[in-house]
Amino acid sequence: MENQLVHPKAPTGLVLNIQHFCTHDGPGIRTTVFLKGCSLRCKWCSNPESIRPTPELAYNPGKCIGEKQCGYCLKNVCPESAIYVVGSGDRADDKVRVNWDLCTNCGKCVPVCPTNALYLFGQEMTVGQVLDEVEQDSPFYRESGGGMTLSGGECQLQPDFAAALLAGAHERGINTAIETASNVPWDFMAKVLPHVDTVLHDIKLTDPERHKKWTGADNARIRANLKRAYETFPDKKFIARTPLIPGVNDDEEHVRATLAFIKPYKNVVDYELLPYMRFGEGKYGFLGRIYEMQDFNPPTPETLKRLRAIIDEAFGRSGKPARE
Amino acid sequence: MTTQMKRIAINFGGGYVPGLNAVITGAVLAASELGWEAVGIRDGFEGVLFPDRYPDGGLMKLTPQIVENLAGATGCILGTAAQSDPFHVRAINVENMVEEVDRSDELLGMIKKEKIEAVISIVGARALSILWKLNRKGLRTVCVPKSVENDVAATMLSFGFNSALSFVAEMLERCRQAAQSARRIGVVEVLGEHAGWLALQAGMAVCADAVLIPEIPYDLRKVAAKLREKAKAGRTFGLVVVAEGAQPLAGLHAPSRTSDSKMKAALSPGATGNGGFHVIERSGQVAAEVALGIQRLTDRETYPLVLGQLARGGTPTVVDRQLGLGYGAGAVRALDSEQSGVMIVFQPPDLKFVPMAEAINKFRTVPAKSEFVQITRALGISLGD
Repeated sequence: MENQLVHPKAPTGLVLNIQHFCTHDGPGIRTTVFLKGCSLRCKWCSNPESIRPTPELAYNPGKCIGEKQCGYCLKNVCPESAIYVVGSGDRADDKVRVNWDLCTNCGKCVPVCPTNALYLFGQEMTVGQVLDEVEQDSPFYRESGGGMTLSGGECQLQPDFAAALLAGAHERGINTAIETASNVPWDFMAKVLPHVDTVLHDIKLTDPERHKKWTGADNARIRANLKRAYETFPDKKFIARTPLIPGVNDDEEHVRATLAFIKPYKNVVDYELLPYMRFGEGKYGFLGRIYEMQDFNPPTPETLKRLRAIIDEAFGRSGKPARE
Repeated sequence: MTTQMKRIAINFGGGYVPGLNAVITGAVLAASELGWEAVGIRDGFEGVLFPDRYPDGGLMKLTPQIVENLAGATGCILGTAAQSDPFHVRAINVENMVEEVDRSDELLGMIKKEKIEAVISIVGARALSILWKLNRKGLRTVCVPKSVENDVAATMLSFGFNSALSFVAEMLERCRQAAQSARRIGVVEVLGEHAGWLALQAGMAVCADAVLIPEIPYDLRKVAAKLREKAKAGRTFGLVVVAEGAQPLAGLHAPSRTSDSKMKAALSPGATGNGGFHVIERSGQVAAEVALGIQRLTDRETYPLVLGQLARGGTPTVVDRQLGLGYGAGAVRALDSEQSGVMIVFQPPDLKFVPMAEAINKFRTVPAKSEFVQITRALGISLGD
């Protein structure tokens, strides 16, 4: 029954990275497969390289050895003339630069770069290739109760590939989880969710206007999708999560509103707060983009403790009382 | 011979520089003399792409009467668009999913529909590349260089630089008085990612003790030696000017500017380098590093101060007003002589036109042997080398 939902013509998908030994992406030790492409544009995004649904160039000047020593990428490699050097050549800094407004992400400069300063995010992989790599860690999954987690970007934007991966993992006896923001058509979720054991889904903001302001789209579809998912799959485990962003949603109001949304459903077993960490900052530079959240600081331990106490109370756990 | 041009548009691409209105005034007056109609496009190209956002429409009719008193005014009547790119316009599709779409063809169609025959665009380095792509797709355009850092290639002077320079020099003068009163060493960070003109010329104007620019990697020991030498002669304070793109000499104590490397290693297969990460510097980081370094090396109290984006505000100087009027009128002259895809530049003593491509992928940086560098050295100002 499960396999009938898997589109037979979805042998490949755009994979950003396969990360081993993850401990925060579901139960136990897990291997997380990051799929490329996202339907939101959260200003705090820590994986900016996962946003676009196509392969894209990144450049790490720290690895560039400069025009004098190398300079291969400057020799008529780029069809758009998007690679250049600042100054006249007598500067100490002769590292190349990328004109991101001219770059079309064709990737022709990548093979000529001997130090991998220029590289492409996102590669087309088959279901078999991904699962073979994931399966290498299966002893750890058994020991720890872990498995494979699909993340992103938004992993459900490649529904056929994601469903095939998850179903394939189940066939190999691997537990499955996804991390999702759920801003996708319900059809996509209907394809993916049957093959998922644990659904880790974000609730970033509860107010539609504020959701749109900070993530690019309102949350009407997300809420509708989640309610439908809770009801359609009563036996699956859902865990709600909020990336806690200072000045955006690090307040009691948000936590209580989220609890009010999830508490009627018994299959939503937990609500986690993920403190904003400014992880993605450097990567924005590699992609030639601007990180708009650069002046924000992570939430304080006191805030976290206070908000977590509210959640513990709602779930009937004996957390320490909140500090006033 | 006058062309049959009837209607032209003016817009801005990129961030604000002081006195943008002067360029509008120059273009509108010159167009009016030729009997042309001029309109302004609000906020880059947004006025054409999103007319519904503007209660009075995305285009603004510009007449000599409207611009009469504008040349010396602060602000910009058309608005600016620091991140407007018609090739990557953020949109929400029918499925409520966010995506970036290429609306350049649509933009060109709408410009045609508005019967706009050419666009005069006031651009910085980044908007220049975008405009060039539009030009290659058929947009008739002449551009005017603007930059508070004076880093646009092919021209001696970008619009806005002179005003920023005057402001920064005045602020440095005040910083020095503050440093004198507090008996400390003030370390002031100014704009200049690729080019150190602002730091160099303003620092020179106020006779700072040291000026650190991106073109000359610095050794703080040399700066400290200069400051100690002056202290020995009885000077109780100091002033160091740092451009935000200044870098320490390779091999010297490299500042710790990496963010969490563990996460990078995990998520970015190509980003696992041995240091040397280029992260987007927070404003003020260079000032903080240099201030700390100097304090360590001189055992004198320092304080970092960031002028940063403040240099973008304010009214234009007389030099910029002249330049803006000249650039605006010159752009109209270029259109009148059937030119397109060119940038108007100041190569003393003339205003000239060069193909836009000549300024793309280039920055006007400070040459090591330039007159400014030599004068600075002659004045006893350390360049950190």
